[in-house]
Amino acid sequence: MKAMRAGQWHSLGVLISLVLLGCAGSARAEDASSWREIETKYTFGFTTGSGIGLEGEKEFTVDTIGRFGKRDGHYAATETKYEFEFTPSQFIQIEFGALGSTHNIGGVTGLDDRSQVALGGAFAELRYLAIERTSNNPLSVTLAVEPTVRRIDETSGERVRNFEFETTVNADLELMKNRLFAGFNLLYEPEVTQTAIGDTQREATFGGSAALSLRIASNVVVGGEVWYLRHYDAANLTAFTGDAVMLGPSLYIRFTPKMFMTAAWNTQVWGREVGNPVALNLAEFQRHRAKLKFAWEF
Amino acid sequence: MSSVPIMMKKLALAALCAIAMVPASPSQAQQATEVQLTYSKGQFQPSELRAPADKPVTFRVKNLDAKAMEFESTSLRVEKVVAANSEGVINVRALKPGRYEFYDDFNEKARGALTVQ
Repeated sequence: MKAMRAGQWHSLGVLISLVLLGCAGSARAEDASSWREIETKYTFGFTTGSGIGLEGEKEFTVDTIGRFGKRDGHYAATETKYEFEFTPSQFIQIEFGALGSTHNIGGVTGLDDRSQVALGGAFAELRYLAIERTSNNPLSVTLAVEPTVRRIDETSGERVRNFEFETTVNADLELMKNRLFAGFNLLYEPEVTQTAIGDTQREATFGGSAALSLRIASNVVVGGEVWYLRHYDAANLTAFTGDAVMLGPSLYIRFTPKMFMTAAWNTQVWGREVGNPVALNLAEFQRHRAKLKFAWEF
Repeated sequence: MSSVPIMMKKLALAALCAIAMVPASPSQAQQATEVQLTYSKGQFQPSELRAPADKPVTFRVKNLDAKAMEFESTSLRVEKVVAANSEGVINVRALKPGRYEFYDDFNEKARGALTVQ
């Protein structure tokens, strides 16, 4: 299996847009007040909503994130989560799974040429619902921690020992009953990496996002999001190396009561690298990123 | 000694502390308000229920139909399959005032709501 190239992801985006237009057309006559409430976790693209599922619910998901484009050459990398998630109580959700990665790199300054598919690592996530939405309170907030171990470097594809501890605050606000939602994430992601030659590198990503999603049919949500991300060469956020702004659309479709998909595309629209007066930050971030997730509940 | 295992140990400890801080199921700590409803011919009876605020709620759902139904609610954050001609018990946390909708996940038309005040 080869890594999916940016062109293929673009074709996928066009296909999704066509599906979306079809859904939007059939949605005009629907009345939002008759729609069931919606779980917001996956309706904002890369931004994660506050939903934690339903007590007793189990879910298997395949969640792929692709990253495309560096300063030169060609660069395509994907990481896929094969994930099992369950909700043991009305306040907690637990997830865990394996990571698969692909790298297709050629002629990128600072990275070795590579074409590989590998089992990349494993992860677990604990989510705790801190503030719950009711019909009288539109705000919902979830706190999440996600430790991840990798044997393949996310960016370069090299063999490493990497440990990451993503910490997020996932908040969302119901602006119009059953119809319009705003989502917000706050992210702190420290990591430590041991390279094959024994070097230890510490780094961190810090940032946040704002997203808006509109339910255009009972089973279709479209939206847009913006992310601001800062990168540091230290876990304690002391050695700033650059930042970036990413922007793009999102789509969520529930095919059946027990199956849904979500897709998103982000493009870097602004960025800077410390000590390098060029447009965009393509050292620590990518030109584009895409997300495609399918989930089956049982 | 490598810093990776040290960090992993610290993070595992932090995760255990976080889990320990999570409250136990509230339905076990207080006397629950019990609400009873039946599911017959693809409809909930009654479809509008009431319960007091800040007390756990126990739903007793009698499915009188000849096929299974799934009692589900996004705002109550519960789901339970109730087999044909049997009863399901669903325990819900202490609820804040508001309206909580529920439905049969296998039947788009079967809906109801619990008003908490």
